[in-house]
Amino acid sequence: MENLIKIIKRDQPSRAIFFLTPVLAIFLTLLAGGLIFYILGFKPFEALKFFFIVPIADMYGFSELLLKATPLCLIAIGLSFCFKSNNWNIGAEGQLTFGAIVSGGVALLFYNQEGFYILPIVILAGAIGGMLYASIPAILKTYFNTNEILVSLMLVYVSKLILDYLVVGPWSNPEGFNFPETRQFSDSARLPLLAEGLRIHAGIFLALASVVISWFIFYKTYLGFQMKVSGFSLKTAKYAGYKGKKMIILVFLISGACAGLAGVGEITGPIGQLHREVSPDYGFTAIIVAFLGRLNPVGIIFASLVVAITYLGAETAQIFMQIPKYTGQVFQGMILFFLLASDYLLFFKIKFIGSKK
Amino acid sequence: MKTNLTVSNITKIYPGCVANSNISLEFKSGKIYALLGENGAGKSTLVKILSGVIQPNEGEIILNNKIIKLNSPIDAKKNKIGMVFQHFNLFETLSVFENLIIDSNETRENLREKIISIMQKYNFSIDLDIPVLNLSAGQKQKVEIVRCLIRNPEVLIMDEPTSVLTEQETSELFSSLKQFSKEGILIIYITHKLKEVMSLCDEVAVMRRGKLVSVSKIIDEKIETLANKMVGQNLKTVKKKISKEGSTEQLIKISNLNFSSEDPFETNLENINFEVNRGECFGIAGISGNGQSELFQVLSGEIISENNSIKLNNYPIGNLNPQQRREYLMAFSPEDRMEQAAIPQMKIFENVALNNFKSSNFFNKGLINEKKIKQHSQKILSDFSVNTDNVELKSQFLSGGNLQKLIIGRELITSPELLICFNPTWGLDVGAINYIHETLIKINEQNKSIILISTDTDELLKLSDKISVIYKGKLSKKMNADEVTSEKLGILMGGGEFD
Repeated sequence: MENLIKIIKRDQPSRAIFFLTPVLAIFLTLLAGGLIFYILGFKPFEALKFFFIVPIADMYGFSELLLKATPLCLIAIGLSFCFKSNNWNIGAEGQLTFGAIVSGGVALLFYNQEGFYILPIVILAGAIGGMLYASIPAILKTYFNTNEILVSLMLVYVSKLILDYLVVGPWSNPEGFNFPETRQFSDSARLPLLAEGLRIHAGIFLALASVVISWFIFYKTYLGFQMKVSGFSLKTAKYAGYKGKKMIILVFLISGACAGLAGVGEITGPIGQLHREVSPDYGFTAIIVAFLGRLNPVGIIFASLVVAITYLGAETAQIFMQIPKYTGQVFQGMILFFLLASDYLLFFKIKFIGSKK
Repeated sequence: MKTNLTVSNITKIYPGCVANSNISLEFKSGKIYALLGENGAGKSTLVKILSGVIQPNEGEIILNNKIIKLNSPIDAKKNKIGMVFQHFNLFETLSVFENLIIDSNETRENLREKIISIMQKYNFSIDLDIPVLNLSAGQKQKVEIVRCLIRNPEVLIMDEPTSVLTEQETSELFSSLKQFSKEGILIIYITHKLKEVMSLCDEVAVMRRGKLVSVSKIIDEKIETLANKMVGQNLKTVKKKISKEGSTEQLIKISNLNFSSEDPFETNLENINFEVNRGECFGIAGISGNGQSELFQVLSGEIISENNSIKLNNYPIGNLNPQQRREYLMAFSPEDRMEQAAIPQMKIFENVALNNFKSSNFFNKGLINEKKIKQHSQKILSDFSVNTDNVELKSQFLSGGNLQKLIIGRELITSPELLICFNPTWGLDVGAINYIHETLIKINEQNKSIILISTDTDELLKLSDKISVIYKGKLSKKMNADEVTSEKLGILMGGGEFD
């Protein structure tokens, strides 16, 4: 018997496969997820229904989906600037947290004031906070040759500890009975909610704007062109004379600003105060979103919706099936795993041939 | 017991390039064989075939009169073929001992004894329990060699083993190799360093452009004859007409240029001095790996140097980047077409936009001016007879020759005063070579200058007015091309001297 399957290298990566593999990855994730549910003793179809359909079956559920997808989309757009140009910013979670700290601090300054000017200042402060925090790995990379993956990742924990210190210490609500949270922001510092009774807020417009702007930058500007070249070959970028250091810093700043804005949305939206857990790891999950969306702004919209379901599904599953909500992370991990695995098909094709005896 | 290894009619074809064309060689134990050739001559491909990393399209490998199939490196190990690669395959943070036992299924105790006895036998003194990262390059290589020796190899293949070794370490390596050879291990030694071949090996096979050029005994060869075989000694005298009046107007002056690299695989440049006049082609000969790539990068601005060490029209440009140098009407055609000069996955017009001098208006206020770039690309495609008129085509679908025409066309469309090219015809077919050569001659006729760094002696003798040879990062004195012969160049390329 000779082998029945033959793996052949493609002459060039397939364009169709490029957009099909994310779909395949999602399909395989569902399959594997069903299997896991089965092993745990649930009916797979029912469990998957609880996970993926029940949460978004009504208007409230759908608005929650958009609420979760908003930060994912915004951060993933920012990250795609880095990833497209060969910069591996893994610390969006930290940039989000720091953006939330800075904008929250500014919002607290105005806690007993009202005025139309407050919200723009708060939003800007969040973007600047994210940028500042992203500039650390960028500067260390350009001037001291450090590895941005490690630096940006480790800074995540630093920012979370800073936040922790602030909300239990100097910034904690004086009338808050020592709960680890700050005062409520004034209404002028809050992103407006889009509908009565729903939590979805104006942050979604920031996300949509980032999609349009990034699409324009990627495909229409010199900066986008330089990023594309650097992504394919740093040697070529150097040969063309692109200012590599400047670009590294710029893409990190953009990425940090987006993560910072996502942080603003988290604290000035439905919550309206700083507390310990500003983000359920949106900054890390957005890495999956960015790749699932193929670093393409439109793709990222779809990817953020798909991944957002895993957050909701995990909660529903916890309530109705008593499965830990960490199942959501299992699903996120599986999506990335299957995506990376099916990317193999970009470069190789599998040919089935009849058995020979 | 005598080992004999035969490769017969090996052919390996990559898309657009024949890496090995019908190679047949015979090796017998007790001798050290050199496989000599430049980068890209096909020797690495042959070695990868022998070690099972890649499989040939045609041909057979016969070990001790039996045809063997090497479908993976594991097959090579099973057939007692050991291989030490140029770049070490060691886990830096693991200890020497852990590195040695990693792919073995014998017990630790047995192996330890075995390793210690091998080390004693060959006088290797390496502490087995320190992490590999604390070892010198020479010691790391010994670890790699021991890893082969554990398996009692019949064949040992060494790929460019001395590129990171000191002279002392090199001579230690050579005496070990001679000892292995005496004990009956068949040794195949891959290199482009002529002196090593002369001092170590018994027989030498020379490869060039995927073909076997010659097989001979070392005693019948001299450094010059081997150098000529490597780079081609086709003494065609179709030279370009050297204008006797010779412009004396200096265009570029390199003085006291130095570069020292932190990367042990790179060559340092030492006190480079030369100048090029208008309308002149200055050729730089040498066997690859002697600093050509570093020199190209310093001249193009990919590596910045001391500002006054490069002067164009008396203006210091040493610390300008490539884009800024383009504004001074310099143009660059690097050696690596697929990974540096162009991006195969991008479309033709996008690759044209890589040469973004200001007056081109390819990018206006930060926006891509696609229409302008496409017009421009169209003009390049027709002016330089690239065999497509579709600027949307991805560059990977161009043949090497057409891609090179596109690159040269892209660089020349700015009408530069100085073109610096590095192996512009490497790997091309005769038609494309002629086209590029004619283009370069035309540039000189328009009173523009060229610095031609090439490992192809024929090409240099055909195109250059003046020639220097680069050897170990140092440039020889400048010679008039019509007074130079390929024998003289060969001596200089091998590190020799003549008066």
